[in-house]
Amino acid sequence: MIVVFSEDGENFKSAAALAQSLGEEIAGVAKQELKFTNKLYVTDFDEDVVVDIVSKESPTLVIGGDTKRDKTVAARVAARLRAAYAPSVVDLKSQGDRFVVKRIGYSGVALATLTLSKPAVITVGKGDSSPKEMQTQVIRQEGKGRVRVVERREGKGTVDLGSAKIIVSVGRGMGSKENVKYAQELADAIGAALAGSRPVTAEMGWLPEDRQVGLSGTKVKPKLYLALGISGQPQHLAGMKDSGLVVAVNKDKNAPIAENCDYLVVADTVEFCQEMVKRLKG
Amino acid sequence: MLADLLIHPRLVRVEVGLNVVVGFKVVPDETLIKVSSGKLDMNVAVKISTYDKNAIEEAVRIKESTGGKAIGVTVGNTDRKTIREALSMGVDEVVAISTQYTDVLGTATAIAEEVRSMNPDLVLFGETTTDGSTSGLGPMVAEFWGVPVITFAKSIKLDGKVIRAERSLTPVVEIVETELPTVVTVTGEINSPRIPTLRQIMESSKKPVRTKEFKSSPMASLDSVEPYLVQRKRIVLEGKTEEVVQKLIEALRKEGAL
Repeated sequence: MIVVFSEDGENFKSAAALAQSLGEEIAGVAKQELKFTNKLYVTDFDEDVVVDIVSKESPTLVIGGDTKRDKTVAARVAARLRAAYAPSVVDLKSQGDRFVVKRIGYSGVALATLTLSKPAVITVGKGDSSPKEMQTQVIRQEGKGRVRVVERREGKGTVDLGSAKIIVSVGRGMGSKENVKYAQELADAIGAALAGSRPVTAEMGWLPEDRQVGLSGTKVKPKLYLALGISGQPQHLAGMKDSGLVVAVNKDKNAPIAENCDYLVVADTVEFCQEMVKRLKG
Repeated sequence: MLADLLIHPRLVRVEVGLNVVVGFKVVPDETLIKVSSGKLDMNVAVKISTYDKNAIEEAVRIKESTGGKAIGVTVGNTDRKTIREALSMGVDEVVAISTQYTDVLGTATAIAEEVRSMNPDLVLFGETTTDGSTSGLGPMVAEFWGVPVITFAKSIKLDGKVIRAERSLTPVVEIVETELPTVVTVTGEINSPRIPTLRQIMESSKKPVRTKEFKSSPMASLDSVEPYLVQRKRIVLEGKTEEVVQKLIEALRKEGAL
């Protein structure tokens, strides 16, 4: 038995697609009625409740989604089942009574290969493959856990960075929150989504937190990634390494991003944005 | 006065110092790891994993405000100099558990054993480490210990035995509440870790470090670690902004990227 779960519908699909490729009976846990597993528990996703549902199926493999809540649930399931654990897996192969997986390590510097004994718990991000629809037995299961939600603030969630074709991304080198408007103008001129590094999103609030690209934010792979004033710490690189073409704009020629881009423009980020907008509109 | 106490029983609540256990990991500094002839050079300086420093800071603040104790636990590399940094920041003592390679499940097993014997009010970890980055340790320790877990907390507030936390679950922020004892993992936004004074560094040498050994048989074995590299062109455009912008636009059009 394989168990697939995610609080996110799209992420549930990519996990289900991987599960289907392994040809075993599949149980799912989701918030919505999605028809990609033999049976499906529909729940409002209290973490204690989901950990119980998944563990009780006695699975040989658990494939969770990659959201922060999904990873919290996955780790608890691994502890309860005394199972091998590998989150954010980029490749999985079944080898007899083991699984061989690949994942990113050392904050984006390394690609690690691990062998997992069964049972195993992994998580996967959103992907391109979609699962086949199948006849699904739906079971509703609600319940309350030990942690009470007092208040919930939905993020804006207006941009889907994961599927953006062009991304303009800002870092500390943009100078100030005020200056972000120049990056926005450039993004508008080339039809790009606006994103940012961890310092400018989570720490300084120049942009909302859901715009964060990096190891602890969204992993992106646009055709073109324009990094404005981003020094290129491993944690950031881990989130954008799979981009098609990378252009970096930085005053410092020796910033780590210089080693990780196709074009390095040595310039002031604000002047660069203004000049780009002028040329592209003119 | 006495009448007040009888009418408002919560006024007589005695604040007792909270005992906090904080887990931290000694890791190679990822910003120093370089690729040389197709291999990763991991023989670099070690440090306290980035967000574990935030966990230590939070543990010390809680200890200071409630008059309790903060005990550090570390598993794996037990580098003394790095452990002293945690002690200098205000941790009262450290349990240093040395072990050969282990997976996060093994680390959680070792820490849960310690936590059970210390029976603290609160156990803190960083949201993730900079080496394995599984974000799994806190949830696993909570599971083994049998208490609730709150992950990715960007602020926490204690009121007696009730803990309230703001969870950063991009793009959602949740305010949650539960009763102690509990495990919490904290994000980098929760505080700015203090830089110890010279005096604190000197005094840290007198604080106890208890060493232990842990043997584990990991469920996940690490077969290989290779450089994760994407080859880039690395063309540098320098000069007047108008000119380099012109060159860049031409190049991007040629590549079909614009």
